[in-house]
Amino acid sequence: MKQLSVNTIISSLSLVFFLSCSSDLDFDQINDLKLKPVVVANLAYFDVRANQLLDNGGTHVLYDTREFDVFKDKFFTNDLLKAEFDFEVENTINRAFTLNQRLINANGDILETISYPVPAYTGSSNVIKYPTEVFENQRLELLKQTAKIDFELIIAAGPPLNAGSTGSIKLRSSATVYLEFE
Amino acid sequence: MKKVFLLLAIFYQLSSFSQNKEVLYNFTSIPQSSLVNPGADVSYKFYFGVPVASGVSANLGSSSFSAYDLFAENGVDFNDKVRNVVNKSSNKDRVITNQQLELFSGGFRIGGRDSKSYISFGMYQEFDFFMFMPKDLAVLALDGNKNHIGKSFNLGDLSLKAEVLSVFHVGFHKKVSEKLVLGGRAKIYSSGANATSTKNSGYIYTGQNVGTPNLYSQTISSDLELKTSGISKFTKDEYEGNIARDIANNTFFNGSLGLGFDAGITYYFKDNLQFTASVIDLGFIRQSKDIETLTYKGTYQYDGVNPNFLGNDDPENVFDEFNAAIPRDTLYNKYTTWRPTKIYSSLQYSFGEYRSDEDCNCRTQVKRRYLNDAGVQFFAMSAPRTPLFALTAFYKRSIFEKLDVKATYTFDTFSNKNIGLGLSGTLWKVNMYLLVNNILELKDVSKANSMAFQVGLNFVFQDKE
Repeated sequence: MKQLSVNTIISSLSLVFFLSCSSDLDFDQINDLKLKPVVVANLAYFDVRANQLLDNGGTHVLYDTREFDVFKDKFFTNDLLKAEFDFEVENTINRAFTLNQRLINANGDILETISYPVPAYTGSSNVIKYPTEVFENQRLELLKQTAKIDFELIIAAGPPLNAGSTGSIKLRSSATVYLEFE
Repeated sequence: MKKVFLLLAIFYQLSSFSQNKEVLYNFTSIPQSSLVNPGADVSYKFYFGVPVASGVSANLGSSSFSAYDLFAENGVDFNDKVRNVVNKSSNKDRVITNQQLELFSGGFRIGGRDSKSYISFGMYQEFDFFMFMPKDLAVLALDGNKNHIGKSFNLGDLSLKAEVLSVFHVGFHKKVSEKLVLGGRAKIYSSGANATSTKNSGYIYTGQNVGTPNLYSQTISSDLELKTSGISKFTKDEYEGNIARDIANNTFFNGSLGLGFDAGITYYFKDNLQFTASVIDLGFIRQSKDIETLTYKGTYQYDGVNPNFLGNDDPENVFDEFNAAIPRDTLYNKYTTWRPTKIYSSLQYSFGEYRSDEDCNCRTQVKRRYLNDAGVQFFAMSAPRTPLFALTAFYKRSIFEKLDVKATYTFDTFSNKNIGLGLSGTLWKVNMYLLVNNILELKDVSKANSMAFQVGLNFVFQDKE
């Protein structure tokens, strides 16, 4: 028994390893990895009350420009496959509106105008959900240049608005962005 | 992105549930068993480990999936496999990797032939990685928030620490009496790289609540902190070195220093009833070299762009607001990390007296030897959130005079069928050992959730009989 050969011990030790097996694995599959998160985020909103809009009943334009700098982030922009914007307006003022949103690049050029008519409030529910704006391909490339958004609210002629007027016009909106990280 | 994922996948594959070395523990024919119990009843005239080959150990595995789940050549789309793995995981799944490589080791008896005092010493390199499965963040990265409206993604799921260090140690153990062995070991740690991010909290929330101005309420509340030592220079653009070489250099020559202790005991109630206990790596490292702490603390609520038609313009800028609300701060404070402390204990009953083939050895009083040892072992280890525990039943047998085999059956939080097998053989003066756990999985290691092994070669010299 004392003449245990080196081979006996080595083969007992290595037997354990040789007994083990493995299925075929393909680690190159890591190159197929694509993360495709879909992210929703608020886009733009306002809430303007009628008693803040004083006029004599004629056409009347409200206007503001806002910085919109999310596309400055190249990590985000390069991996953006598609975007969808959803807008919803609730108008409880007895005047009709037109909402124009203009996407503007860093040089001040207008890339795109999104225009929505808003009917006047007549006493019944007046929430309008506009069709989804889908940005793909060429339209997406334009969107990616956006640096500012111009908001223009045109109030159509109608009953004069004063401090006693009731109701409000509200915008709520969201962006759904489809990302793909490789 | 891909690199990060590959790194995580490798960590998963090289990981196991704990650093439990249940097969090695109290396997006293292997000198390295005194590394898991400095009070182990190990005796020798002197020994030295074959440099770099005396103790190699690694744990391989993962808590919730195997290499097969991700990389099998079965035609299933890789992204679907990733999704399946994430879906079936939980944020309580732990990933713990431990790798050790003994650079040199040795020991000798002090005080003459009848003395029972021993000194041992050595140096090993160690790599530790601990992570909880960051499930919520993985789901967010895979799905986004669109199909999870109302869910709070928990940033506290992010909990990890990693360290590369070298350990120089000197131990002493003494057989105080026939019944009692006591031992202790002092350790100097030198940490080449440390990353600790274990105290995170916060959430990313998207909901649809009445009374909010826009369609969603979106809030990020963040209390994230990542402490690093020995790493920050690699992240700088101007760095043009070899990261592996620099970490190795820091680990051995320019690390953050720390101090630790091991202690252990072996006590024989009777000749054949033995109790042991040990505490390993009770120590700390003062992280002081190339330190950098990053924090993201704050709360940000995102409502979207708000045109103001009524004058009094206040310009807004999403990025600036976000950065102001949750600023990235860099601090340069030294910090202290505690080593993962391990506690072992065992109770062993021996039976079947050993009958030597040799002729009667009349010169020495022969201590009774037993062929079989059986018993239970307990293991615990400190870890973020909650400690880890394991219970092992074992059976050890001397097959030949110089060949011992030990089998273990371990229950822990993750597995209840982990069978380990160890062999230790001595030929002339050469001691060889191979210890493997989870042998049931050897039939297809790619499907194994965990694997661990220890292997090594020593030269052991006993007194000439």
